[in-house]
Amino acid sequence: MSTPVIVAENLTKYYGARLAVDAVSFDVRPNEVMGLLGPNGSGKSTILRILTGYLHPTSGTARVAGCDVVSQSLEARSQLGYVPEDVPLYTNMRVLEFLEFMGRVRGVDSARLPAAVDDAIERLSLGRVRTLMISKLSRGYRQRVAIAQALLGKPKLLILDEPTNGLDPRQIIEVRELIRTLSSELSILVTSHILAEMERVAHRVAILLDGKLLSVQSLRDPAGIARFRMRLRNTTPEAVNAALRPAAAELIEAGRGDTYLIACADGAGPAVRSLVTAGIEVEEVVVAVSRLEDLFLQLTEGRIQ
Amino acid sequence: MSAFSALLGKEIRALFQSPVAYVVIGVFLALMGYSFTITLFNNKYATLIHIFFQSAGLLLLIVPVITMRLFAEERKAGTLELLLTAPVRESHVVLAKFIASMAVLGAMIGLTGVYALVLGIFGSPDWGAIYSGYLGLLLLASTLVSIGLVVSALTANQVIAAIITIGISFSMWMIDTLASMAPDAMGRVLISFSLLARFTPFATGAMYTSDFGFFLSTTLLALFLAMRALARR
Repeated sequence: MSTPVIVAENLTKYYGARLAVDAVSFDVRPNEVMGLLGPNGSGKSTILRILTGYLHPTSGTARVAGCDVVSQSLEARSQLGYVPEDVPLYTNMRVLEFLEFMGRVRGVDSARLPAAVDDAIERLSLGRVRTLMISKLSRGYRQRVAIAQALLGKPKLLILDEPTNGLDPRQIIEVRELIRTLSSELSILVTSHILAEMERVAHRVAILLDGKLLSVQSLRDPAGIARFRMRLRNTTPEAVNAALRPAAAELIEAGRGDTYLIACADGAGPAVRSLVTAGIEVEEVVVAVSRLEDLFLQLTEGRIQ
Repeated sequence: MSAFSALLGKEIRALFQSPVAYVVIGVFLALMGYSFTITLFNNKYATLIHIFFQSAGLLLLIVPVITMRLFAEERKAGTLELLLTAPVRESHVVLAKFIASMAVLGAMIGLTGVYALVLGIFGSPDWGAIYSGYLGLLLLASTLVSIGLVVSALTANQVIAAIITIGISFSMWMIDTLASMAPDAMGRVLISFSLLARFTPFATGAMYTSDFGFFLSTTLLALFLAMRALARR
């Protein structure tokens, strides 16, 4: 098994007397999208700030690409790109000027800098705005500029704090697509308090509450990501199960009457087609509560104030 | 080195793009020009001693206006987080801000060199005293900037940063008045921390290594504290 890009062990952080992160341990593997999920104030951003070297842990250790984030902070920081939550940028700079500045700060060789900046501009589709002042950009473009700067210097790890905050639906889809694309090149640690968002991009999620790690869950098992309630006519659970098998779907529960709860790895389409092909009449398809939502509610039941 | 020059370039651009630098330099030169002209016409002496003392007094007010935003603004805007999570040393961040501020103040003080030229053309000034006066102003400015940097690194509020820096600067300027009321030994200690007592020899044409060492060591200590303030997180 390949060496994890992040190894956090018993990370603990106190702000004065307040415990913000309580002995959190997790790892992130190469090319993995790991989500930190939890309500506001659960310690997600503090963990990111410790991993990026901005905050020091009260106790515990964290390594990024094998470098300790405290004792080898510079080396660790050179292995990661970071986009903080509120997308702070130098608004008095133009996009190109800012990316060149960040490229030099991030140690990109001056001979390679123009090509690296051009590459980042192209990947994030910033060509149209490259000469504009950052202060004139929309929130969506600012998010792209922030991600572009984080990719300069070819980091092994990209850390995104609530990357879809404040974006419109189209921009959210773009960011999601970008995360999926980038995960083929590097590892990504992303925080969110939106369950559906996390479910769509992450391979695994670490669920946090009040600074404690409640669970680390894989979201890529065959049990499926999305669940649907389907009303099916003139069939039996056995027949449904048999019909679903070629569609990478699974019957979770045969409910009352004609209602069946079905988990689909690739969405409802292939499952419905398989059922119809098997001669089963599909009357209605409704998205059920997601598995992650189920899990989150189960883990946090009675604990969220 | 490339990262440091990038940081320095950013700081210098930020200071010279901001209207603050031009307003500060403009007001300073207007006041000093008025003072120089009036004093020259009234006294007919080819000296800049009064300009050096008035400039030093104005530096106590001007430097906090320049330094208050250096870290406080970045902290508030969140860009400090962006900067300090990139692979750069805290010492480079602090030094870049220090050198950029000194560039603005150096330009401001340097422009008053016109007065020295005027004296040189129409009279016979003591050039040694003029050189030492300018050196004293630059040393005083570097001490005040480094103190301003420490304070700015400790707060996200620019106004608070400016007020605290003014408070510390004026206290250190005037501490010799307290020394006259203190017992002998303590008085000597207090005077040794007085910016006025340390600056006066420079302004009057006498340079002592102890005064030079005081300004230099205070600057280095304050820069070190600013780095520690950034690293303390």
